[in-house]
Amino acid sequence: MIRVENIYKSFGEKSILCGVNLEVCSGQTFVIVGSSGVGKSIFLKTIVGLIKPESGIITIDGIDITKCIVSDLRKIQKKVGYVFQESALFDSLNVFENVAFGLRSLTNLSEEEIKNRVTKCLTMVGLKNVEHLKPANLSGGMKKRVAIARTISYKPNYILYDEPTTGLDPIMSDVISDLIISLKKYLNVSSVVVTHDMKSAYKIADRIMMLYEGRIIFSGTPEEVKNTDNEYVRQFVEGSSRGPMQQIDRTFKMG
Amino acid sequence: MKKTLNVFQFYKANQAFVYRLIEGLGKAVWMVLETFACIFKLEINCKSTIEQMVEVGWRSTPIVILTSFFTGMVLALQVGNATSNLFNEPVYVGTVTGFSMVIELGPVLTSIVVTGRVGAAITAELGTMKVTEQLDALYTLGTSPVKYLAVSRFLACFFMLPILTVISNIVGIYGGLILSTNTWGLSTYTYLSQSLDFMTVRTFIHGFIKSFFFALIMVIVACYKGFNTENGAEGVGKAVTGSVMTSIVLILVTDYFLTTLLVALRIK
Ligand SMILES: Nc1ncnc2c1ncn2[C@@H]1O[C@H](COP(=O)(O)OP(=O)(O)OP(=O)(O)O)[C@@H](O)[C@H]1O
Ligand SMILES: [Mg+2]
Repeated sequence: MIRVENIYKSFGEKSILCGVNLEVCSGQTFVIVGSSGVGKSIFLKTIVGLIKPESGIITIDGIDITKCIVSDLRKIQKKVGYVFQESALFDSLNVFENVAFGLRSLTNLSEEEIKNRVTKCLTMVGLKNVEHLKPANLSGGMKKRVAIARTISYKPNYILYDEPTTGLDPIMSDVISDLIISLKKYLNVSSVVVTHDMKSAYKIADRIMMLYEGRIIFSGTPEEVKNTDNEYVRQFVEGSSRGPMQQIDRTFKMG
Repeated sequence: MKKTLNVFQFYKANQAFVYRLIEGLGKAVWMVLETFACIFKLEINCKSTIEQMVEVGWRSTPIVILTSFFTGMVLALQVGNATSNLFNEPVYVGTVTGFSMVIELGPVLTSIVVTGRVGAAITAELGTMKVTEQLDALYTLGTSPVKYLAVSRFLACFFMLPILTVISNIVGIYGGLILSTNTWGLSTYTYLSQSLDFMTVRTFIHGFIKSFFFALIMVIVACYKGFNTENGAEGVGKAVTGSVMTSIVLILVTDYFLTTLLVALRIK
């Protein structure tokens, strides 16, 4: 179980997270939505320990990641997978080596097994015959899928996805949504998914929560989201530029 | 009122700077300790260490040979000129060229040339990995960036720079020889006996020890600057400049103090 209590994080004067709580039980898929720049990526990174919050507690299966010892940290790294928003593939390694990286560092599989597992994971994200390519020679969507394959390869119990379907065509988005669902079904993986893609969110989520101004302003099942009268959520879901979240000056006058 | 240098006032005025300096030093020390821990536990990736050694050692050899050859020649030319003016004939050409190369120019010049080539490349590569979140990705895949990236580079620089220095010494003396036989009409025997007669094992060790220290400075600064790169492509550019400048300044300053120490220890 991932449990996040009262996380605070700010950069200088600007506070990004002000007391965020989250609890992900095993086999649950949690979707986080929110406007661009509210701090969704920052929040995901604090969960895996890439960013240290100013205060708050993050425990993964009972281990507090902000103050645990190295051997515990390794256990947690093995349990938690992270898909980066910008893919973050190792550009000195080819696709095969990228996907095999986690298998080599976190598991004791033989070369033969690694080879099979890599091919299988790449097929699961709809990629074939790309093993020998370097990340620089892939399209954005292909990179994203390689990044997903790299994360699912070592079968973590928890996977945090930062916008897994952004930049993919609608069909591929649906393939990835199905992948997240089947990982949950067959391997009991719990996921936290940051996404702007409401169609995919409704399909995969057990719960959807919305982040706004450093706080969670809404949390509920997809049905509840569809029927809510929370103005912020409605504006976001409908994708309307008119509503309580005013981001721009509507007069559109230049100069 | 008397104006005194008040440490406390200085601290107050530069508080942010002092904090950053201490924080930076702390991070660097931590990185070095982690590197040593990995080396002592033999957590070394042999394949990538060898790749780095080829990059640092073999691929730097041409540039080191080229610069050392010309440095040896210009030394012999200058010494010959100066002594000709004073004594009407070139004397001590071999001695001064040999000594200068082995104790001073070999180690310093080689490390500066290698800093420009290898130090810059290390910082650029690690810095790019930092700003594209590849270091974060390493962490989530259970691998420490220091163990995976720094250890192999550290070992490669530490062992290759002294070897390059020896090559530089030999080529420099050879450059001096070519010039002396052609311009000053010395025989090969005269030049070489001048060079080697006064040189002892200690002279050689003096230069050799320095090159190990310079290697450490270069690789620690390069890795540190790379790992702490911030702010995208612009940041990578700044980190590379900072890395090369810091290394060169530290090498030259350390050179003075190290020489003083080695002379005091009679390694000269
Ligand atoms: N190192 C930093 N220093 C200062 N501010 C930062 C830093 N990193 C992120 N921020 C700020 O934190 C806020 C949240 O960033 P974050 O990347 O989490 O947004 P996001 O919700 O993931 O947006 P998007 O949907 O566009 O990916 C942004 O406003 C950003 O400017
Ligand atoms: Mg983001």
